[in-house]
Amino acid sequence: MRTRVATALAAVALTLAGCATVATTTIPTAPAQVPVPGGAAPATASSAPAAPDCGDVGASLRPPNPLPAPGQMPAGSTMARIVQRGKLVVGVDQNTLNMGFRDPFTSQIQGFDVDMARAVAQAIFGSPDAIQLRALTSDQRIPALQNGDVDIVVRTMTITCDRLQQVNFSTVYYDAQQRILVRKNSGITGADQLAGKKACATKGSTSLNTLLALPSQPTAIGVADWTDCLVMLQQGQIDAVSTDDVILAGMAAQDRYTEVVGSSLGDQPYGMAIPKQNEDFVRFVNGVLERVRTNGTWTASYQRWLGGLLSGSTPAPPAPRYRD
Amino acid sequence: MTAILARRPVREAAELARTTPGVLSGFLLALVVVGLLAGLFTALGVQSRANALTALATRSGPLTAAAEEIYRSLSDADATANGAFLAGGLEPTSSRQRYEADIAQAGNALAIAVAARVPADVTAAGSPLATLSSQLPVYTGLVETARADNRQGLPLGAAYQREASNLMRTQLLPAAESLYRAENAQLAADQDNADGVPWLEILLALVVIALLVATQLYLRRHTNRVFNAGLLVASGAAVISLLWVLIATLGATSDVNDSRTNGSAQADTLARARIATLNARADETLTLVARGAGKAYQDDYVKLNDSLRTLLDNARGAATDSAVGDNVAAAIDDHRAWSDAHADIRAADDSGDYTSAVRVAIEPVPDGAVVAFDELDGDLRAAIERTRAAFGAEVTDGSAAVAGTVAAVSVLAVVVAAASAAGIWRRLKDYR
Repeated sequence: MRTRVATALAAVALTLAGCATVATTTIPTAPAQVPVPGGAAPATASSAPAAPDCGDVGASLRPPNPLPAPGQMPAGSTMARIVQRGKLVVGVDQNTLNMGFRDPFTSQIQGFDVDMARAVAQAIFGSPDAIQLRALTSDQRIPALQNGDVDIVVRTMTITCDRLQQVNFSTVYYDAQQRILVRKNSGITGADQLAGKKACATKGSTSLNTLLALPSQPTAIGVADWTDCLVMLQQGQIDAVSTDDVILAGMAAQDRYTEVVGSSLGDQPYGMAIPKQNEDFVRFVNGVLERVRTNGTWTASYQRWLGGLLSGSTPAPPAPRYRD
Repeated sequence: MTAILARRPVREAAELARTTPGVLSGFLLALVVVGLLAGLFTALGVQSRANALTALATRSGPLTAAAEEIYRSLSDADATANGAFLAGGLEPTSSRQRYEADIAQAGNALAIAVAARVPADVTAAGSPLATLSSQLPVYTGLVETARADNRQGLPLGAAYQREASNLMRTQLLPAAESLYRAENAQLAADQDNADGVPWLEILLALVVIALLVATQLYLRRHTNRVFNAGLLVASGAAVISLLWVLIATLGATSDVNDSRTNGSAQADTLARARIATLNARADETLTLVARGAGKAYQDDYVKLNDSLRTLLDNARGAATDSAVGDNVAAAIDDHRAWSDAHADIRAADDSGDYTSAVRVAIEPVPDGAVVAFDELDGDLRAAIERTRAAFGAEVTDGSAAVAGTVAAVSVLAVVVAAASAAGIWRRLKDYR
């Protein structure tokens, strides 16, 4: 009997000891896991010296008169080589709403930039569909041209003196202004309020250089594609996106809790980029752009893609300027 | 020293040791102590082998399979989610169901892997299980956001999908792979513990037998008896114990060796082939998602495809079961078909025919990539299941071989000690 009581007491003691152990166990705190878009990283100013002032960046090469008819390109010209291949290979964006973006319903890449590229294909082949689109990120544009992976880049590309040293540009086909996009309740009304904030732009873009040069010195985050900036803004990882008004308008259209604020941080004239050596193609493309400006193609495309995004009436196409 | 020798008990013991009863008492003491200790250590040695076999059957074997399943389901989930961004239009129900099944299976296998660990293993910063447990919900959240945006026709959806896929490829899959490697290394370690030659057990048994022989030789020389019944019984028990240990452990060793060659080694090669297959498929899809800017993915595909070919050839060479051999042969054929389909995809995409490239890549058309990929994955899964079954059967045989050995050597050790004591005690009584 005594043994049995002792056993029972021991069992109770063990149970109590067990309870005590559980009660003192602490659950370690796990840190939250914040996902980031691939390749997103703080950006620093490039150490390469800025190119010397090259005068009017918008001035390009004068087109031939008359422009060769579709299918009748001069022998030995860049256009003749493109005709031989059968397709115009164009570097575009697949992430920027209404400039160059992939429509999730049709899986087609379309937009204002793509319309401009199709006009070039139309002039070479007589068909706007003789075109092969390659999606490029901002920093892939110049290497793709230099490697000959694409014939032409039509991708919200600002003409700058730096870039003119590496590639050729057509005349200006769109005039943009760099601004900033913020969350509606952020209280930020301009670039001067970005001190101590994080601002996002794509790597290899002129927008990123502008951000790095801002007097308010925000922390600049470089990403691959423009929509990556919007993802980070929605996730609260950054406070602002800074780039051209037309790109920002496409983002604001995808998230009504964001708005474009502040005055212009600089002119961003868009040109079509072409490998440096293909001057005949630059002249040809400028001829196509002359036609696009005058025959209503430009205005129709603006109204289709950008009229709903940007306030104000449809502007006139930028007037071409030539340096010879 | 002299002081110690001068002490009375020590001096008396030294005098006793020179007499026959004294020596016999020494043998008695030695046989009882050595016999019992040898039995104890032999039993412990056999027990640790039995434990290793149990670990193989219940822990490292199943956990290796669970880790591989985590990798497979995560990788397939990502490839499926990315594929939905290729097709355009409404995501097919079958693709959504495949993604959901993959996520459910990943969670299931992860729960099995976590349940086998103590909390500290799981929560240690940077441990694969901590990464998998904490990032999987984040991943699924991103995929659902991508899906919601995509259904509204926003290009933003693709950006969320890219972020999800980046999380998968840079964190979840590497964690799953290191978990698989760790579990596989644990399995190999358990096999090494279970298949060693039992040197200690043999040595202990030989010491006991030598002591018994020495005692009997001494008795024969110093008494007129040729045989001593107790010591004979003890000798018999010692020899039986040695033979029992030898037969049981060598049988188990051979079973464990077979579990390696017929089971786990092949399963590992096949599992690595399956991982390479899944990664190559993800590369194939992502090359197309990148729309002409996917050279890095295509380069990775080429590298993985080469290593996949080598792994499949190795698996064919290592196959010991004809059914596994047939599975691997089918896998090699399907791999060839998939490589042809991939060449078609690249040719179409590079010539600007993106629509055809996507069709060959994701639609279940004959000569399409998805059919060949699914069949290749199915062949590998069947072969892995067969080799895992062979592994399990061999380990069960090994456990059966050592079953009862611990009890037997313990009883025999007691018999050795008791019989020796009884035998010597009878002779000691003669000197009273």
